[in-house]
Amino acid sequence: MIPDPLTLALLSLLGGLLALDATSLGQLMLSRPLVAAGLAGIVAGNPAAGIATGLLLEALHLAVLPVGASRYPEAGPAAVAAAGAFAGSTDSPVALMACVVFSMAWGWVGGRTVEALRRANARLAVPAPGPLDPAAVERLHLRALALDAARGTLLTLAGLLLLGTLLETLGWIPFREQWTRPALALSAAGALASALRLFGRRRLPLFAVGAVAGALVLWLR
Amino acid sequence: MLLRSFAVQGSWNYRTLIGTGMAFVLAPALRHLHGADGPRLREATGRHAELFNAHPYLATLAAGAIARLEADGAPPELIGRFKAAVRGSLGSLGDRLVWLVWRPTTALLMVALLLAGLPWWLAVSAFVASYNALHLWLRVWGLRTGLREGLQVARALREAPFERIGERASDVGAFLSGFAAVLAVGSGGRNGWDYFALGLVALVAGVMLGPRVRMVAGIGLTALLIAGVVLASNS
Repeated sequence: MIPDPLTLALLSLLGGLLALDATSLGQLMLSRPLVAAGLAGIVAGNPAAGIATGLLLEALHLAVLPVGASRYPEAGPAAVAAAGAFAGSTDSPVALMACVVFSMAWGWVGGRTVEALRRANARLAVPAPGPLDPAAVERLHLRALALDAARGTLLTLAGLLLLGTLLETLGWIPFREQWTRPALALSAAGALASALRLFGRRRLPLFAVGAVAGALVLWLR
Repeated sequence: MLLRSFAVQGSWNYRTLIGTGMAFVLAPALRHLHGADGPRLREATGRHAELFNAHPYLATLAAGAIARLEADGAPPELIGRFKAAVRGSLGSLGDRLVWLVWRPTTALLMVALLLAGLPWWLAVSAFVASYNALHLWLRVWGLRTGLREGLQVARALREAPFERIGERASDVGAFLSGFAAVLAVGSGGRNGWDYFALGLVALVAGVMLGPRVRMVAGIGLTALLIAGVVLASNS
C-alpha cells in the first residue's frame, strides 16, 4: 500500500540518504538491503516487515560487486521502497514476493540512474583544465553530492508509489500461498550458497562444515 | 582531509573518475601549503582535479602521499607520475580485499546471526561494527602512511597484512555461507525430506551458478508470481 504522506516523505528522505551512503558519502554500508529495509520498516511502523524484506534482498544482493566502472544494481533506495510498501500491506508471502521481485527490478533501474548521474557529472562536476580555485572544486563537488541525494530521494519516492499501487492491485487477487514462502526461502538459500564463489571453490570443505553446523542448529530447535 | 575522504567519490564521473573528489580531499592541505601563493595554489588544485581513481578507502593513502610530496616541493611531473603509478594498484587491492571478501563476509555474519535467532538490531550492529572496523582502519592507516612515507608508499603496501586478512576472512566467509544457506532453507516453514531435498538442490545450484543465481532467482520468482496471478484469475 502507498504510505501516508508523512511516512512517504520520511521514507523518500531515508532512501536519499542511503543512496548517498552507497557511493558518494560515507560508504558505511548502511545502504545494505538488510540495514536499509529494517530502517524503512521502523519508519513505516512495521519493523518485522522491513526485516523480512531485507533478509531476502540481502541474500540476493550478496554477490553484487561495485568494482570499478562496472554496471551493478543499487540496493538502498530499492530496499527502502520494498520494505516501506510491504510494511503497510497485508502481511502475506505473495506480497513479500512481489516486493522482492520489484526491488530487484528497481535496483536495476537505480543502477541506470547512477550511470546517468555519472555521465551528467562528467559535464557538471569536472572543471576545465588549468589553474583552479579550491572553492570552485568544493562547489562542484558539493553540487554533485546534492544531485545524488535528490536522485535517491526521487527514486525511492517513485518506487514507493509504483509498488504501493501494485500491491493494492495484487490485494484483489485470491492467491494460493502455500508455495510462496518455501520458494522465497530456497531462493535465499541458493543466493547465500552462491557467495562461496567469492571466496573460492577450494573452500568447499569449510562451506560444508558451515552447512553441517547450520543443520545442527536446525535440528536442535 | 580524513573527514573529506568520506566523500571522495561524491562527484564520480566517466571523464576524470574521482579526480574532482581528490582535489576536494586535498584542498585543505593545498590551502595550508600554498595559501599565501595564490597562483601556485590554483595551479596545484587544477593538477589534482585531473583523472584519478583508487578504491575509496585507500584513496587516503594517495592523498597523504600527494600532500607530503607537495609539502616537500616535489616537481609536478613527479607527482603526476606517482599518481598514475598508484591508481591501478590502489583500485585492485581495495576491490579484492573489501568488495570481494570483507563486505560479503561481514554481510553473511549479519544474515547468519539473524537467521540463528538474534534480534535485527544486534545482527546489524555486529555487521556495521565489524565491516567498519576495517573500513575506518584503512582510511586512517592510509592517510598516516601516505603522509609519512610519501613516494615510498609501495613498500608500506607490500608490508601491510592485506593478504593475510583476505585469506582468513575468506575462510570465515565460506563457513558462514554454508551455515546461513542451511538456516535459510529451514526458514521456509516446511519440513519433510522432499522439501529438504529441494533445499539441497538450491545449495548445489547456488554453488554452481555463483553470482548468476541472482538472475536465475529473479526470473524464477517473477515466473512464480505471474503463474500465481494467472491461476488465481482462472480459479
